Amino acid sequence: MTRRTALIAAIVAVALVGAGSVARAHHAFAAEFDVNKPIKFEGKLIKWDMVNPHSWFHMEIKGEKWMIEGGSPNQLIRQGVTSKTVPIGTTLIVEGYLAKDGTNKAVGRNFILADGSRLFLGGSAPGQPK
Amino acid sequence: MRRISAGALAIAVAMMWLTANTNADQQAAGASTAKPAAASTAAKAAQPGAKPYRAPRTPDGQPDLGGYWSNATYTPLERAQNVTKEYYTPEEFKKVMQDAQARDETQTTPGTPADVHYDFTQFGLDKSQHTIAQNLRTSQIIDPPDGRLPPQVPAAAARAQAAAAERKQQGGQYDRVQNMPNGSRCIIMGGAGPPLRDAGYNSTYHIVQGQGNVMILTEMIHDARIIPLDNRPAPPAGLKQWVGMSRGRWEGETLVVETTNFNGRNPIGGGRGGGGSSDAVKVTERFTRISDDQIEYKFTVDDPQTWTRPWTALNYLQKTNGPIFEFACHETNIGVSGILGGARADEKRAAEAAAAKTGSR
Repeated sequence: MTRRTALIAAIVAVALVGAGSVARAHHAFAAEFDVNKPIKFEGKLIKWDMVNPHSWFHMEIKGEKWMIEGGSPNQLIRQGVTSKTVPIGTTLIVEGYLAKDGTNKAVGRNFILADGSRLFLGGSAPGQPK
Repeated sequence: MRRISAGALAIAVAMMWLTANTNADQQAAGASTAKPAAASTAAKAAQPGAKPYRAPRTPDGQPDLGGYWSNATYTPLERAQNVTKEYYTPEEFKKVMQDAQARDETQTTPGTPADVHYDFTQFGLDKSQHTIAQNLRTSQIIDPPDGRLPPQVPAAAARAQAAAAERKQQGGQYDRVQNMPNGSRCIIMGGAGPPLRDAGYNSTYHIVQGQGNVMILTEMIHDARIIPLDNRPAPPAGLKQWVGMSRGRWEGETLVVETTNFNGRNPIGGGRGGGGSSDAVKVTERFTRISDDQIEYKFTVDDPQTWTRPWTALNYLQKTNGPIFEFACHETNIGVSGILGGARADEKRAAEAAAAKTGSR
């Protein structure tokens, strides 16, 4: 809690007319993943690759190995998050979309913990209960 | 226990600072790191009769620009069409910030293409979770005075048309890797510059000064620009680089950097139907440290082959914490193969659907 409190104190959010949409459209996710194939998986975390431009959650889901794509880890690393912050073996519920090419890959739209709470890796999601 | 909203606290702190300062040109600051010391330093500088800020010095006597800096901002490059003034009032600014924060937090609609993406908030990538320098300006462009890019010359339109025709000849965007955008291929992204522009997220720079050189490392992505200060001659015209070639000099407290020799494949200021700058563009940057926590960053873009006149913009570099995690982007990780594989899968499905339709006739 101390780290989170410090983070909140250290953060001054801001906002002027948005470049957010530009940032969110930088990579052709809808070309890689199928909007018509939404998924909701529950599985265990095997490994988290903190790589760029996008991190990958390796998971075991019903006996099969899957790779779930997430965001750039740079801001998380600056906030003290490491590859061990979410322990190996943690059960995650993933909502997302399957890869079009038929491989065991998906984009993780939402990462949810077993108790139903959303996973906020940075610990500073604005306006969210935690 | 319900958390205090970081964004709400941030806006409150920023508003306290901005309200305390009446000189509009000194209203850059605030900053998402929201250290009270930073705000009070800037406030002192704004008082009439106060001594001008003097930057600390490097061992060889240069004003010290070293460290980690963020240029994340919600101030748009161009003033919005429905805004006619140069500065917001603090009250208007508060509303603008709240609206932008709300947009950050807005969730996409399931089952839409926009929803096929990871959630920025979960990965700490919303701007409201970043270090941001505040100011009341309604646009980064300060010249022309209307805050908008100047009109383009006919040659720019002709160049954009030729580029579009070339792209068409090369096939679709996902037909081959060479047709994909620079950013998706991890060649260069928006933050590299020059000029240094907010990359959207990971908008951090590491400035290192040595004797005779300044180095600017861009987090997004990986470019390290070396700026010699030794008055060496301009590079030969035929030598072209993605980030151009820079030459720097000190004018009092200001580091002035002139950059030419761009390869023209990462144009500055595109959009509005225009393709942006040509390889003849010259960028002049002015870095002036105005407090312990801020560098004023002005840049002028001069490209007679694109715009009818030069234009100048102003933003701030806000001190932030380091280190920078190496972006180490390589052809969008495994995304390129996934995108090309997706395109082939789409084609296969379309062909099968067409064959089934033919067969059923």
